[in-house]
Amino acid sequence: MNYLLRHVQVLLATLGQMARAPLATLLTLTVIGITLALPSGLYVMLDNLQRLSAGWDRGAQASLFLKRTVTEAGAHKLAQQIRTLSAVASVDYISREAALSEFKKQSGFGSVLNALDSNPLPAVLVVHLAVENPAAVEPLMATLAGLPGVELAQLDIEWLQRLAALLQLAERVVAILATLLSLAVLLIIGNTIRLAVVNRQTEIEIIQLVGGTPGFVRRPFLYSGLLQGLLGGLLAWLLVEASLLLLSGPTRELAGLYGSNFALIGLGADQGVSLALAGGLLGWIGSRLAVGWQLRQIALH
Amino acid sequence: MIQLNHVSKRYLSGPSDYVALRDVSFTVAKGEMLFVTGHSGAGKSTLLRLLTLIERPTRGQLLVQNKNLERLARWRVPYYRRELGVVFQDNKLLTDRSVFDNVALPLVAGGVSHREIPKRVRAALDLVGLLSKEKLHPIVLSGGEQQRVGIARAVVNRPPLLLADEPTGNLDRQLSGTIFDLFHDFNQHGVTVLIATHDLYQVERLGKRVLTLKAGELVHDTGAVA
Repeated sequence: MNYLLRHVQVLLATLGQMARAPLATLLTLTVIGITLALPSGLYVMLDNLQRLSAGWDRGAQASLFLKRTVTEAGAHKLAQQIRTLSAVASVDYISREAALSEFKKQSGFGSVLNALDSNPLPAVLVVHLAVENPAAVEPLMATLAGLPGVELAQLDIEWLQRLAALLQLAERVVAILATLLSLAVLLIIGNTIRLAVVNRQTEIEIIQLVGGTPGFVRRPFLYSGLLQGLLGGLLAWLLVEASLLLLSGPTRELAGLYGSNFALIGLGADQGVSLALAGGLLGWIGSRLAVGWQLRQIALH
Repeated sequence: MIQLNHVSKRYLSGPSDYVALRDVSFTVAKGEMLFVTGHSGAGKSTLLRLLTLIERPTRGQLLVQNKNLERLARWRVPYYRRELGVVFQDNKLLTDRSVFDNVALPLVAGGVSHREIPKRVRAALDLVGLLSKEKLHPIVLSGGEQQRVGIARAVVNRPPLLLADEPTGNLDRQLSGTIFDLFHDFNQHGVTVLIATHDLYQVERLGKRVLTLKAGELVHDTGAVA
């Protein structure tokens, strides 16, 4: 109980110290906040993009052009066989005649086609895919292309796979950035704490001389680092949400033009809290390293 | 209480070593009061730095309250220091804290319970006659008063051993007298007191045991005085 009370006291004292130097505190917190907001913001954008492309993914379809030797009954049988595959949502059959009439309607070449004595178009099976993971598309397409009677299997969304690959690349970039900027936060807080230790060198020496343990000496600095990281993380959350708020109007407008009701989603409470906690952890580690190093410089036995 | 056996302290400074203490041996009984005198550089401060474990001896054995300081693990040092009261020449007070907070520092660092602290701080301030100034900051106090705050901080843990390094180095004769009387008072109450000083007037006035150091060697010991 007494132990807990002492920790609370140090915590309050640290908060008081931060409040007594509001400008310095604000500057440090802002730097930490922006540094953490950058990778978090990129992560949120990426997350939204993935959500958007996932929506398209579900509507993906493949066209199977059948050999001319395949009869209508054979085509139906093939469709039935494809329906049993796990990643297939549904299969539509378009007969050669239906294909021709649709082509005539859409292309405007109706009269030219009338001049031909036979129908040049193949029958088509339109396969609606139900894959969540873009990586699963490739093997499925191989399976479809290998079916007897299939002349050519064409994925209508190859560009979507490229987008998925691009997103994967972006994910990696964000991860690298997040690592580097976390290191930056560690160093920022570490340096702030190092300066604080230097400023209070006399006090530290006296505390050590009157019997303060290293843990007692370290405690206020660790709390200071922890609080700076925590508050910096909260500020980063705030910055990300504020930025999204600024972007949400234009995004809705743009989505509306494409007939979509897509809206940006922010970090949310759990991820926001995680961000703040991550900041706190970085602050604690940074100050622990800085205090340890600095105390060795002024070590009394 | 204190026992030194052939203690030497050597500082490595460039090509030539500097020997601050050379083969010093003496014993201090519990409840004794003694002075360590000598010119500056004779080794008085080094002796106190060894006793407070700011430094460790190069050679020899140091026993304080039956603890072998050489073998004392690093993590035990803070706990050892809590059983010492140390008074410094420059009093080492924290200027950004009140007199009360300065005196409370050893108790806070030692994890003394909250209800206990004000009682003990006021008792210590009362002993040095500064009870009325607990809310002031050390800067507004006179040199003698600041040194008395330092003494209050040294005795607030009720240590059995009190060490002082030139406690009156910056004070005039009259103020020095009151400070030395204060130490004498603590000794009367059973505290072992060791004072490094070159204030020979006060040393003679109190008539206690005197150790004389010269260039790191113990050249004279009057022996225990009743």
